[in-house]
Amino acid sequence: MQKFKVTFLPDNKSVLAEKDKTILSAAISAGVYINSVCGGDGVCGRCKVILKKGQVNEQPNGIISEVERKNNIYLACLTNIHSDLEVEIPENSRLNFDRLTPMELGGRLGNLYSEAEDIQPVGPKLEEGLFKHSPFATKLYLELPAPTLNDSISDLERIYRALRGYEDFPVIQTGLFNIRQLGELLRDSEWKVTLTLGKRNDTVEIVLVESGDTTNKNFGLCFDIGTTTISGQLVDLNSKKILGTKATYNQQATFGNDVITRIVYAGQSDGLEKLHEAVCSTMNQMILELIQENNVDLNDVNCIVCSGNTTMIHLLLSVDPAHIRKEPYVPTANFLPVLRAAEAGININPRGLLSCVPGISSYVGGDITAGVLSSGIYQKDELCMLIDIGTNGEIVLGNKDFLVACAASAGPAFEGSGVTSGMRASSGAIQNIDIDKTDFSVKYSTIGNKKPRGICGSGYIDLLSSMLESGIIDKGGKIKAVGKRIRQTDTGREFVVCFKEEADSLSDIVINEADIENLKRSKAAIYSASAILVKHMGLSFTDIYKIFIAGGFGTYLDIDKAVRIGLLPDLARSKFVFIGNSALAGASQILLSNQAMAMADTLASKITYFELSVDPGYMDEYSQALFFPHTDLTKFPSVRF
Amino acid sequence: METQLVLEKWAGVISALTIGANKEDGGSRANIVRIGGQGSLPLLFKEGSIPNRPVIAFEIWDTPPQDWPDDLTSAYGKVLNDPFAWADKCVNELKAQLLCVRMQGAHPDFGNKDPGEAANFISALLTRVKVPLIIIGSGDDSKDNLILPACSEAAKNERCLIGCAVQDNYKTLVASVLADGHHIIAESPIDINIAKQLNILISDMGLSLERIVINPTIGALGYGLEYAYSIMERARLAALSGDKTLASPFICFVGQETWRTKEAKAGYEQGVIWEIITATSLIQSGADLLVMRHPAAVEKVAGYIDSLFNK
Repeated sequence: MQKFKVTFLPDNKSVLAEKDKTILSAAISAGVYINSVCGGDGVCGRCKVILKKGQVNEQPNGIISEVERKNNIYLACLTNIHSDLEVEIPENSRLNFDRLTPMELGGRLGNLYSEAEDIQPVGPKLEEGLFKHSPFATKLYLELPAPTLNDSISDLERIYRALRGYEDFPVIQTGLFNIRQLGELLRDSEWKVTLTLGKRNDTVEIVLVESGDTTNKNFGLCFDIGTTTISGQLVDLNSKKILGTKATYNQQATFGNDVITRIVYAGQSDGLEKLHEAVCSTMNQMILELIQENNVDLNDVNCIVCSGNTTMIHLLLSVDPAHIRKEPYVPTANFLPVLRAAEAGININPRGLLSCVPGISSYVGGDITAGVLSSGIYQKDELCMLIDIGTNGEIVLGNKDFLVACAASAGPAFEGSGVTSGMRASSGAIQNIDIDKTDFSVKYSTIGNKKPRGICGSGYIDLLSSMLESGIIDKGGKIKAVGKRIRQTDTGREFVVCFKEEADSLSDIVINEADIENLKRSKAAIYSASAILVKHMGLSFTDIYKIFIAGGFGTYLDIDKAVRIGLLPDLARSKFVFIGNSALAGASQILLSNQAMAMADTLASKITYFELSVDPGYMDEYSQALFFPHTDLTKFPSVRF
Repeated sequence: METQLVLEKWAGVISALTIGANKEDGGSRANIVRIGGQGSLPLLFKEGSIPNRPVIAFEIWDTPPQDWPDDLTSAYGKVLNDPFAWADKCVNELKAQLLCVRMQGAHPDFGNKDPGEAANFISALLTRVKVPLIIIGSGDDSKDNLILPACSEAAKNERCLIGCAVQDNYKTLVASVLADGHHIIAESPIDINIAKQLNILISDMGLSLERIVINPTIGALGYGLEYAYSIMERARLAALSGDKTLASPFICFVGQETWRTKEAKAGYEQGVIWEIITATSLIQSGADLLVMRHPAAVEKVAGYIDSLFNK
């Protein structure tokens, strides 16, 4: 087979690719990232590249416009290589690996609504009993009496005896690795050693024996593995101090933007390995940066807690998620035993432990368990609701007496996918929009105050609300006004939010009627799922005391506007609390407290999963919500356009 | 022992609407037609007032119909070639109280009449007959957006019922109807939510809910009649329970749906029976206006309405 050299700019990476392979597949083999929301099916139009040199054969598609054609823009997934090529990947088609700015992180992660105080503070080591209020991995410094002829128990027994002096707990294993080096190590260290103790499902493992007192070096990690974004924190397990927080994109996005596409991909040859590899390498890279920036040795990172939806956890552990997608939607495991992180391919201390927050069902995962934990709704006397707005919207209703959860397939529109100018909540995303009612001029602000590259979820909420307010669209979501920012295209009318001259984008940043339709469906799915859940329990929205909103929105979410478009129920705005990434907050609590870990187990078994598709009223409720704010205006008394 | 009726009490009432303007109202119609105003489910006279009967409108076209089966065309004969003679026949001979004129001739595939021609036709028709008019577009959205405003203006102050506004195309028509003092037909595809949404969108433009007639889209017997029936029933239940955004009378295009069925086209006067059954069923689910085609079917259904209301 004839092979051609394909060079990708600006990375300047080259790869040999067979004739007729697509540019996208060449990019993947070259390790160059090109956006591909649809996984190469030729429908999302995100993988636009500029052909600088060479011959290609383009499969027909309706995505590339006349103007783009003139500018040599091609879809990487539908363009076959016919000669040596030079291809430039424009900014819009790249995965922006810039780390979120501190300001963005502050918004995303800093204002976590967390009731950590409600969980007993993690005390230093042993005063309160070893594991009641203590981190996932604990270090214990021991000065052992040296053996004598009168005290001649074995080295290992000697350690156990000393441990029992603190508290009698079942040591399940010590590991051959530790035992092999024990004789030498105890004597070399003059019987002064530090044990790393890890909790493994109600028993204790001696993870590591080190010479001398290293108790001051005990670190752990917590991660939230989202379908789109992976967030992680490095925590000093002694002081509970968060040393660093990072968020980046899940490299699995190359293989499709939602869990279903990824499950399908996992079923292909090597698919599962590639997805597993993608999430591991994303996390390992983040871990590396976290420890380097904080001068922590990888060997002192003794444990990691991961929350994530059920599919993400399956993929992290390289467990086939196929059955999640097939009726009756059963995952391989919801409760996973504590594993060694290395087994999953996560690089921390080679003997370090990995715990996954237990999930509830195939579509309500450990991220929700962690969210329930960190929002504290399981302790409340009053009725509360947790709404996690993501590709898979999850809703939990309850209080200290009961908890019921459901999942609604909301689609990725609020995560900036499947919409023309959508992007994730990262640098350059328009997140705040105001439209002038008379001339429709647009005022906006972007994340990081960069030139706009697209619109993120909170931007779309603002945009829809402002377009309704200014009469640009009607309540059905059709563009009805006229003006210089409104134009007719082949695919319907669109509104220009930002002309390309003022944007960091190849084309104008727009919203069209199909986008509005997508967003309308997303908001209808979330609202109607909430409404059905409340109705199913024989309650009404007005019975709810507080609604916690979690999700991957940027620094900003305007609750009032989210109500005005009908995404959230029309209740007093003071009842809503935006808690950002509640899953990461929960994971961090679990990392620091075994009590929290036990509570997560309790919660995951306690939360009742309610399957929306079996409720005959869901479709009707959903259809009614396909209107701004809602077909039944009496449900939104405070909203007037 | 006397039987006690269990009666429902309703909070809402269907809006009442007058089609046609006589001299006192600034128009030139000899008669006017009132529909709606019910405070109860259809025919439950004891539960609330039912001030108006269902009304039948004869459907005529501005151009000779091409796809009408013989059973139907033979009932009219040569007048089908002359819309005015056709209208005369309906009014004088068949005693129509109301005509529904479909501007089929404006459709790009059936004559492509321009707005001026359409307006002239409506003016002439209003001079020729003195009954109130329902004016229906050609079914081609972009063409209707040109001719319906012209027709509306030509019929200014005659308080016609003009349609059909749909969710994706309602603004032009609403604006004309608002300007020229008519009422509007809001069409939704057998969907109670869209019916409601369209009513809201129309009233958002300033045309009051009391000037809207819902075309719920119906199917003839064997072609989805039961879907239409239950959608109408649900809408009516919601309206009577107090939902003002659904409290509009219904118009049902019975003739149009009947005469496209293969049973009607098969001949043997099956079409007449089909039209009668479709119409009488819909009357029971709350139809206020029935647009019909075959004179024999109209006669039967009119008799049926008489028998229901002359208790």
